[in-house]
Amino acid sequence: MAFDRQQVEQFLYHEADLMDEHRYDEWLALWADDALYWVPTGRDDINPAREISLIYDDHVRLQVRIARLKSGFAHAQEPKSRMRRLVSNILLTEEANGEITASSNFLLAELRRGKQDIFAGRTIHRLRPQNDSFKLVSKKVLLVNNNEPIDNLTFLI
Amino acid sequence: MKPQHDLDYEALVKEDRVHISLYTDPTVFSDEMDKIFHRGWVYVGHQGEVPQPGDFRLKRIGLQPVIMVRDQAGTVQLLLNRCRHRGATVCQEKQGNTRSFRCMYHGWTYQTDGALSGVPGMDAYGDEFQREDLSLAKVPRVASYRGFIFGSLSPAGITLEEHLGRAAAELDLFVGLSEAEDVEVVSGTHQYSYQANWKLAAENSMDGYHPMITHASFGQALMDKIQNSPSPEQRREDRDFASFRGATIDMGNGHVMLDYKMRIYDSLNGDPTPAVRAMTPEGQAHLEELTRRFGHQRAANMLREGGTHTFIFPNLILIGIQMRVLQPLRADYTEVCLYPTLLKWLAPEVNTIRLRSHEAFFGSASFGGPDDSEIFERIQDGCAVQLEPWQLLSRGLHRQRHENGMILGEMADEVTQRGIWRQWKKVMTQGTGVARTTRQRTGNGVARKRG
Ligand code: FES
Ligand SMILES: [Fe+2]
Repeated sequence: MAFDRQQVEQFLYHEADLMDEHRYDEWLALWADDALYWVPTGRDDINPAREISLIYDDHVRLQVRIARLKSGFAHAQEPKSRMRRLVSNILLTEEANGEITASSNFLLAELRRGKQDIFAGRTIHRLRPQNDSFKLVSKKVLLVNNNEPIDNLTFLI
Repeated sequence: MKPQHDLDYEALVKEDRVHISLYTDPTVFSDEMDKIFHRGWVYVGHQGEVPQPGDFRLKRIGLQPVIMVRDQAGTVQLLLNRCRHRGATVCQEKQGNTRSFRCMYHGWTYQTDGALSGVPGMDAYGDEFQREDLSLAKVPRVASYRGFIFGSLSPAGITLEEHLGRAAAELDLFVGLSEAEDVEVVSGTHQYSYQANWKLAAENSMDGYHPMITHASFGQALMDKIQNSPSPEQRREDRDFASFRGATIDMGNGHVMLDYKMRIYDSLNGDPTPAVRAMTPEGQAHLEELTRRFGHQRAANMLREGGTHTFIFPNLILIGIQMRVLQPLRADYTEVCLYPTLLKWLAPEVNTIRLRSHEAFFGSASFGGPDDSEIFERIQDGCAVQLEPWQLLSRGLHRQRHENGMILGEMADEVTQRGIWRQWKKVMTQGTGVARTTRQRTGNGVARKRG
């Protein structure tokens, strides 16, 4: 393999830390310009041209998401969620163009307003090797509860 | 189930204030379910959600589970989700397509029109057992307006038209960019919940006073290009997406609206000309199609005026391209379901823009709705304060005007909240005009009672 598995794992763990710790700018810097951050709702495989998602961010909207979170007026994150997540069951595939698809499971404990919620799901990262690391080209998050009412998903998932 | 003590709603709901116990008291909640949701007209769903025979969606009227299903003959039925044998639910999926509903306790099977068609071991029953008497119970009254399907669990009462009154025109406007049958409700749902009373979402949805503060982060984000295809020429520096222009209107019967006088496809831009979306090729195509269908002036007005922003008492909210349904479940827990709509005749790219615009402000991960929900929960927490136990509704009371049987106010006035509460009090103290017994069933008597 042309890539180092440990390097990919480090990337995923690092991303998880950035999300857990609300390190917004560092997280945003992981993304490639042709980014797609996608969290479907209803079921895992929807047609985004005809169906809504919880999140379907291109890079412009990612910037807006981060700008909003940093504004001090994103009340649903004031106070912020306290979070820790585990990332595991990592499977890697090298694509023909040299990019890497990483599928992993996560389990997230999120605490806010005295209420702790558990989120879980499978995440599919698409990574583009660049210099010593990767750019995050796309990320699709398949939430276990994506067809249930969710009270607050304004943190980074 | 009726509460055992009588609550003095006259004392708890004043024109300019309401008592906080109305958001927290479980007795009030069950009284609301009884008088408002289990007797009056309640919005259930749109015909576009079940386009094909056998298509179904699980719904509720108040707390009672209802299957909305298009039967094999093409009629949309509202069936209570409870087996007539020993009571298990017969439908478990939120949506799908089926030829029949089979109860998995003993296997009774019901057709999509509710008829009981299969009973394993029929020979164990005597002659008095009539399958025809044991269909799934149907919602006693079902009526549809422009594809919006309402149900009433009371067998008697005012008609849906009487209930909707002037608000029917807003349903017309919602589908007004199209014909009713062109509205597609096939784009999934945003489902969210919050730990607070259902009326907070009703009041908030028609609150023109809060956006500048509650949605300040959105306003800021907006200043940078939130739209998918921002046109730099049209970017504006002022944050008047929630401007105080426009009007609050109380249409009667608890139906209220904000008249933003803004466009549906560019609700993020206060520019009064309808051409903004037309800056993009997709928008241009849309405008051309509107113009071809309706003429230039009407097309321009449609884009300028946009969709409606209306609350239909007690549980339907129409905002732009979105239908929103409130589902009270406890005094301090509510679920909300948003249904973005597509129009069949729009270019696919324009329909996609409708969805991407929707995602920006609505849903659990969006830049708008979650901040409202956060406020609802702060209010519910605030209700624990027993001193000065009132919420004020007096904004603009001194300057509101009566026109054509409606009450009008400025955009940030509380005309809309007062309108919701007036109807709430009327129903809770007088009933919905719905007969408790069939003897009151005559249309005139009921209508007179509504006055
Ligand atoms: S409870 Fe449904 S078949 Fe017996
Ligand atoms: Fe709001």
